[in-house]
Amino acid sequence: MILVAIALFVTASAVATVRLLLGPGLAERIVALDVALICFMGALACYSAHTGSTIYLIAVVVLAIIGFTATVSAARFLQHERSGARSEALDHQEASS
Amino acid sequence: MNIVAGIIMCLGGALAILAAVGLHRFSTPYARFHAAGKASPVAFLVAAIGAALALGPAGAVELAIASVAMILTLPTGVHLMFRAVHRTSAPEIAVDELAPAERLAEAEED
Repeated sequence: MILVAIALFVTASAVATVRLLLGPGLAERIVALDVALICFMGALACYSAHTGSTIYLIAVVVLAIIGFTATVSAARFLQHERSGARSEALDHQEASS
Repeated sequence: MNIVAGIIMCLGGALAILAAVGLHRFSTPYARFHAAGKASPVAFLVAAIGAALALGPAGAVELAIASVAMILTLPTGVHLMFRAVHRTSAPEIAVDELAPAERLAEAEED
């Protein structure tokens, strides 16, 4: 039963990885990477239940705390990289309407 | 107890698949982030409950720490992603209630 759960998590991770490769924008790719990471954490928790040892849970805790900093820094980067793009788009929209 | 834990972990895996499929099926970036940011932490939480049932108190403590850290941090990250997308790309949604407020804030800054 636990192996089925691990297989489900790995499948979800693979589906999110497809989005990571195809994704139309940088933001989609980052969020897809986030989902893949969380699926990996879930699979790790299930695997530690399968083996009965808690040594893998340390990795889960560290990923839960560290994974968030990647999303935040990527969001800040995205915002600085293209600041002004939105006002340009709005100007373009107002000019065309 | 192990069968119950296995069933709960499988439920978590099914939720994770729903989150990953939501990334593909929705049309706008906001809807995609919604699927990713809501369903995936719940999937991890359900799997953590199942693993804690199987592992006993020693594992439950670490899983609880991981769950609390995830619940505190993940919505913040996804919210920042929402905001970055809203500020950098052209609006493609029917109702945009944030744009007038942001324009007002910019006008007050000037």
